[in-house]
Amino acid sequence: MIINLGYVFLASALAVSLYGVIVPHLGVRRNNWNLVRSAQFASIVNFFLVLGASTVLLRSFLANDFSVRFVWENSSTDLPIFYKITAFWGGMDGSLLFWELVLAGFTAIVAYTYQRVNREIIPYVLVTLNIIHVFLLSLLVSWSNPLDVQSPVPLEGRGLNPLLQHPGMAIHPPLLYLGYIGFAIPFAFAMASLVRGRLDNAWVISTRRWTLGAWYALAMGLMFGGQWAYEELGWGGYWGWDPVENAAFMPWLTGTAFLHSVILQEKRNMMKVWNMVLIIVTFGLSILGTFIVRSGVLNSVHAFAQSEIGPAFLIFLSCAMLVGFYLMFLRIRLLESRHTADSLLSKESVFLLNNLMLVGIAFTVLLGTAFPLVAEAVRGTKLSIQAPFFNTISAPLGVTLLFLIGISSLVAWRQSSWGFLVRTFRIPVLAGLAGLALGLAGGVRHLGALVIFIGAAFTTTVIVIDMAKAVRVRSSQSGEGWLESALATLMRNRQRWGGALIHLGVVCVFVGLAGNYFKSEFNRTLEPGKPIHIEDYTLLFKGMADEQQGNARLRQAVVELYRGENLVDTLKPARSFYPTQPEPLNEVAIYRTLMEDFYMVVAGENPDGTATVRILINPLVMVIWMGFPLFTVGTFLAIFYRPRRLNQPLFETELEVAR
Amino acid sequence: MAMLTSWKFWAVMLGIVALTGLFAFGFTKDPKLVPSPLVNRPAPAFSITEMNTGQALSSSDLKGKPYILNFWASWCVPCRQEAAHLEAAYQKYERQQGVLRVIGIAIQDAPEAARDFAKRYGKTYFLAVDNKAGDIALNYGLYGVPETFLVDAEGIIRFKNVGATTTEVIERDMLPLIRKK
Repeated sequence: MIINLGYVFLASALAVSLYGVIVPHLGVRRNNWNLVRSAQFASIVNFFLVLGASTVLLRSFLANDFSVRFVWENSSTDLPIFYKITAFWGGMDGSLLFWELVLAGFTAIVAYTYQRVNREIIPYVLVTLNIIHVFLLSLLVSWSNPLDVQSPVPLEGRGLNPLLQHPGMAIHPPLLYLGYIGFAIPFAFAMASLVRGRLDNAWVISTRRWTLGAWYALAMGLMFGGQWAYEELGWGGYWGWDPVENAAFMPWLTGTAFLHSVILQEKRNMMKVWNMVLIIVTFGLSILGTFIVRSGVLNSVHAFAQSEIGPAFLIFLSCAMLVGFYLMFLRIRLLESRHTADSLLSKESVFLLNNLMLVGIAFTVLLGTAFPLVAEAVRGTKLSIQAPFFNTISAPLGVTLLFLIGISSLVAWRQSSWGFLVRTFRIPVLAGLAGLALGLAGGVRHLGALVIFIGAAFTTTVIVIDMAKAVRVRSSQSGEGWLESALATLMRNRQRWGGALIHLGVVCVFVGLAGNYFKSEFNRTLEPGKPIHIEDYTLLFKGMADEQQGNARLRQAVVELYRGENLVDTLKPARSFYPTQPEPLNEVAIYRTLMEDFYMVVAGENPDGTATVRILINPLVMVIWMGFPLFTVGTFLAIFYRPRRLNQPLFETELEVAR
Repeated sequence: MAMLTSWKFWAVMLGIVALTGLFAFGFTKDPKLVPSPLVNRPAPAFSITEMNTGQALSSSDLKGKPYILNFWASWCVPCRQEAAHLEAAYQKYERQQGVLRVIGIAIQDAPEAARDFAKRYGKTYFLAVDNKAGDIALNYGLYGVPETFLVDAEGIIRFKNVGATTTEVIERDMLPLIRKK
């Protein structure tokens, strides 16, 4: 039977992974590179075995094979094909297999690409990664087997959770997994470097792209998650400080800190201990993320399938952290560097400050997320930490970061002079004041929002001036046209300009977040044919209508939306009924403009033909989504950057110093 | 080793162990055990039919005698565990002593699957299946199954248990609440 074949694949993969844990070590011991080669090959075989098992599961979904328990739990015959595919990671066991598949793919890539380079550390990179494989595969063949069969075979499946039936689900969980798992690669390189005592910059340079890729995937995963929550959950926001959201946010924060602090190691040979700490913690938080989502230890609105594997994850996490930090302390002498920041007024200091802010936010989030447990352990009371706690602490830290992005581009490495600073700060500061004026003119009176506008204008100006200067220099030297120069400049220093684009994306996200300070909410009962005015909108309720969409029946309120005299949109917020689910879900209707979203949810349909709706006017939400293209293009540019060796001149500024 | 005398090393290691302990402690607690707002309020009304015999029963018929209202499903794993305990409670307190009724309502379940389950796990007390819309489940604010309510003779909910309802839970938490009266 084909399902058994899948199980055989998984069991074989476990055996191959065990081989990969032991043999590279033997290879190093016996100084036999062929053994290491065989383990590299085994990693590639492992990938194909896991791919085979995944194909079997996917086939069962497509064939409605409800003899597979996992398929029965997460699919049904009326489920559209698209969601039969995404149902693969809709439940615990499948997502674990998906995780293993991605990790196996990454491991195979590492094994294949580093056949000749990094010889000294690669055996232990493989050992580390294979230990993770052994852990995951052990769960997959035992407690958490997605290919588990049941008898008698039910005729119909229980259906995919309707909340998970959203196009975003095709992309949000895989992106988060790519991010979580992506950080396993730099972690493995870090561990291998510690084991071998090779603590130059090789591991940092080799994993730069992995780190950036993982960071990007997490960032996108968070953004898509926010968008999903905004469009699907119907409470009008995109971020609720839910433990599950926090779980993905924490590794992103420390990953961002790592991404910046490795630049210091790369360029200035500083922060080696700190980078170790960050990568160990980031990997730990990635595992913690999965643990929180799946263990049911913390209460979450994401009440997805929980399972018995929580303790296993906790033990694994705990061991990984203990071993990681043990190795780090073992090599601490080799890691301590003589370099420190030369001056308070230097890029190094700004990077340090940036790291402090990011880790500060991560710590706050961890504290807030875990505090309900502490409270219960100490005082035996149930409580939940709400948004105000997180907002109060992370907002000032976040806004500081927004300013730091701009400042870091203005100060030089090593030391900046005050005179230089005053000159370069002048225009951006003026721009910041212009941002303030613009906000005030737009009627914004909330301090938090105004500070964000100042920071956004300041930082954007710094970045734009920076780019403009570089393009001007290029254009005057080469005599090329403006556009050609811009492209050439962009391509020549991809890391720098990629970073600049990502920073612009971050500015967009901040500006969008500022909108939260002045959003407004209304509850109205709509009578058919009777117009209602809300701010500068006019609503005309046409009545209720039924529509069949996929496997759901929608009960829509049809509302014409006018701005002034013009019909701008016909909104159809609805309640949807899924055959396999008892409760109706809200289908949100949104009329979007750059300045604000008109967001409408049906709260209830009344017997007299009226409908009660909840309306939110959410300013600047569209600006947040502008982060998507900026992050994407920026990462794409930066990821094709090759770090230069340390013995080469690094920066224009250093060249100047050298001269 | 120098490492073993470094306070930083021990601080980090202890920190990890403490965090692990905290999360391990989390396993012993269920965050969903927030006291139900329904406790000490009248039980929401329901009317059901026995899934094997078709006998009708509504909550108003139950006035005058306390009852255990257990929500279960054929696809629920802890429900297998509690099945024997509930059946034992039925045999002892309903059939022999006549002090307490036991009623089970399956939610999100197909009647055939529910019947199979009852047969396999030997449930013989009054069993019904909630309608497709899950009205009763909604009225009782269920997070999942199994969840079990104790309703007293006046129709007031006195206790709610999340997870498998074992003989221990019935004897320790439920019986004292109705014997007091």
